[in-house]
Amino acid sequence: MMIKASDLRAPWLWLSLAALAVLLVFIVYPVVNILTASVFGGGENGWSRLLNDPRGLSAILNTLILATIVTITCVLIGVPLAYVTARYRFFGKSIIALLPLITLVIPEVISAQTWLMALGNNGLITRFFRDFGIQLPTFYGWFGLVTVMTFVYYTYVYIGTVASISGFDATLEEAAQSLGTSPALSRIKVMLPVILPSILASALLVFTMVVGNFAISMILSNRLPLLSVVTYQAAVSEGGAAPVMQSTYATVSVVMVMLILFFNRWIISRGRFEIVQGRGAKPVSITGWRGAIIGLLASLIVIISLVPLAVIAVGAFTVSRGPVMQWGNWTLANMERVFINAPQPLVNSLIYAGVATLIGICFSALVSYLIIKKRNAVTPWLDYISSIPLALSGTVLGIGLVVSFNAGWLPLTGTATIMVLALLVRRLPFGMRSSQATLHNIPNSIEEASISLGSPPLRTFFKVVLPMMGPAIASAAILTWTTSVSELSASILVYSGGRETLTIQVFRLIGSNLMAYASAYGLVLIAVIIIPIVVATKVFKVDVFASK
Amino acid sequence: MGINIKNLYVNYGGLDVIADLSLTIPEGCFFTLLGPSGCGKTTLLRTIAGFVQASKGNIHFQSQDVTRLPPHKRNIGMVFQDYALFPDKTVAENVAYGLRARGESGDAMMKKVRHELEHVGLGHVMDRHPAALSGGQRQRVALARALVIKPQVLLMDEPLSNLDAKLRIQIRETITDLQREANITTVFVTHDQEEALSMSDQIGVMNKGKVEQLGTPKEIYATPRTSYVADFVGAANRLNVRLADANADGTARIQLGGASILARNTLPSAVQEGILIMRPEDLRLRPQAAADGQGLQGRIVKRQYLGGKTSYKLALDGDIVISVESHGDNHDGFEIGTDVSATIDPSKAMVIAS
Repeated sequence: MMIKASDLRAPWLWLSLAALAVLLVFIVYPVVNILTASVFGGGENGWSRLLNDPRGLSAILNTLILATIVTITCVLIGVPLAYVTARYRFFGKSIIALLPLITLVIPEVISAQTWLMALGNNGLITRFFRDFGIQLPTFYGWFGLVTVMTFVYYTYVYIGTVASISGFDATLEEAAQSLGTSPALSRIKVMLPVILPSILASALLVFTMVVGNFAISMILSNRLPLLSVVTYQAAVSEGGAAPVMQSTYATVSVVMVMLILFFNRWIISRGRFEIVQGRGAKPVSITGWRGAIIGLLASLIVIISLVPLAVIAVGAFTVSRGPVMQWGNWTLANMERVFINAPQPLVNSLIYAGVATLIGICFSALVSYLIIKKRNAVTPWLDYISSIPLALSGTVLGIGLVVSFNAGWLPLTGTATIMVLALLVRRLPFGMRSSQATLHNIPNSIEEASISLGSPPLRTFFKVVLPMMGPAIASAAILTWTTSVSELSASILVYSGGRETLTIQVFRLIGSNLMAYASAYGLVLIAVIIIPIVVATKVFKVDVFASK
Repeated sequence: MGINIKNLYVNYGGLDVIADLSLTIPEGCFFTLLGPSGCGKTTLLRTIAGFVQASKGNIHFQSQDVTRLPPHKRNIGMVFQDYALFPDKTVAENVAYGLRARGESGDAMMKKVRHELEHVGLGHVMDRHPAALSGGQRQRVALARALVIKPQVLLMDEPLSNLDAKLRIQIRETITDLQREANITTVFVTHDQEEALSMSDQIGVMNKGKVEQLGTPKEIYATPRTSYVADFVGAANRLNVRLADANADGTARIQLGGASILARNTLPSAVQEGILIMRPEDLRLRPQAAADGQGLQGRIVKRQYLGGKTSYKLALDGDIVISVESHGDNHDGFEIGTDVSATIDPSKAMVIAS
């Protein structure tokens, strides 16, 4: 697209350029730094060192194996669950509606912690069985990683699949039956090919999330090397020295995720079938023993997903002596510590996540508007660059920010700014995605009507477009807030003493095996996440999941 | 293969959407179920297909009782309102689907597929996906898919409602041509009276889960048995009237707006009150001065020029307004405010029970 003289008079080109500058500095520059540091950093080539490092290579291999296994287990749980909830009505179905909420509400670090409190070496269930002389296998390593990640990530497969099954045009099945295939066969032959792309897409999403996962990997991998763990360890051990190995590992992670995203895009482009006027099937009631079994299995999955909430609520009020939990003895001391003795993490979390959400939402509303409604030569680049964070794990992003803003022309290390920046960049795609989706649905004629009535373009944006985006912005704000508050992997790399957030605090306390304190901070963390959701949905009637 | 429906009941959530419906559709007949939305016509079609279960009564295809047979065993061809083409399959694979379900494969099957698609004029899009087709093309693929399996009966659920006006007329012809050629018993559901009149051998006008009148297009149009049918099929002036006097030859004299006209009388002999039905296009307008006191006397209050005809509203004495459509030369020759007289052939005006 050429830049015309008339473009220079309107404010949009200048705004686009300003946004581009911001994105270049805070997204492109850090990524470029990582890529170059792996080759040129400190006069050493990270790649030749990686090839001679068996631990690094096995970390890559383990990560791929782990991601494959977890993806498969998630599909095995998520798809059947989605199918029965989309197509049937049965006893206990309403609690399955809680699923999307659970993924949002429980930060990964807390899932890992609570599973450990139940099944770890000193866990509730482990001790229960030990009393009967049964020794459970150790929860550290593959067993724990696969279990926890499966129950954290299967909901993504569930959500992706349930949407496509519900949206599937049921007349297609009828057409197949009218042509002579039995109901069951019709479903397999006609529905499966149509919903397969969404299953694959959500499975690949799970794969990338396992590859990028930090909290669960750190807490449960123990001596098993994983990519995100060795990356973090390299970042910590290299400290102020040349960031060679951390950049190399980070690059490996970026390449891996990029490959998967391209694969995903290819699948979607091949498989996006236009469904004309889908008439979803009405869920059929199943009762009797079949209904009971399905209801029981489905509820079991959901209840297991809810276990972290219960364990943490109990743990937060349980007396502890160092690492030893005295189950059954209650106290308020842990909560006292969170609110009175050491409230800094709570305050930090509220401020950093609040500022990050505010800036992120304003920025993404404006930039999305430019991308969708005011296309010019710059806006495609805004689109590409603002989606880069999707390909970066938190660890990679954290390394990028540290490497780029440690010293030099813009030293931010140790400031609150870099904390906010880490949250902001990491969660930017949330706001962008939901803003763009609504803008696509606002017809250009509405703006043109406003302008034809004499309102100038910028005023039209604020008076007409922005209010129409309101509901989507609200839901994006809630999502950004909750995911920012639970962010760990990027912020743990950029924080400095006194700037701990709740998640960082929980993570450190788990590291020191102080589970009671960790539970107390964790419970407050969950409250900080839940309260805005409840207020938004009940008081302001925001559909939090509209953009999900 | 004729269709025989006996004392059929269909119940949705405690409500009988079809109640005690009996209907015989002869072999090879193009039968149309006509009615407004919610009248039960689609439900009836889906019950014939087997997607909706009858709560009482039965359905026979010729001598075979299919009431409890699942849809895939009924050997039907169905064309859906939104086409329901499989989006992941090519046009050829869509058409081949039913043949494959019947165990066919290979070149012989593909030959049938190609032949059927060429028949509907789509031999050149066999390898495309439905998303790449226009609405009319999708419709024809759906038709080919339903016909290639040589079904016992062809069922069509408002298949033309998603097409634009010109295309609709074109596909209408395609459908009737194919149907005549295959001589296949067809049930066609529509709310469009023009479609029903132009395509059908027989029409069943449906209202509230019942067939209100059954007949050929001409019978339905010319001799509606109820006020509902008269109004739904074509336009009609419907006026509550009292017979002034009934003649032995089946006509009756009626006082209307200060004038009197003759009409066909279908009321039982004891009944004096009914509804006078006059189709706007059956009324003839003349200047009052030239009419010599004959016909309904009124004044033109509205006038709509429609190209081939002009539609007038005529105010009679006593706050009665009737519609009149004028055809032929100089059909737009009356200005608003003109006093006119409207006459009607006594065989075209009809008094029916209210």
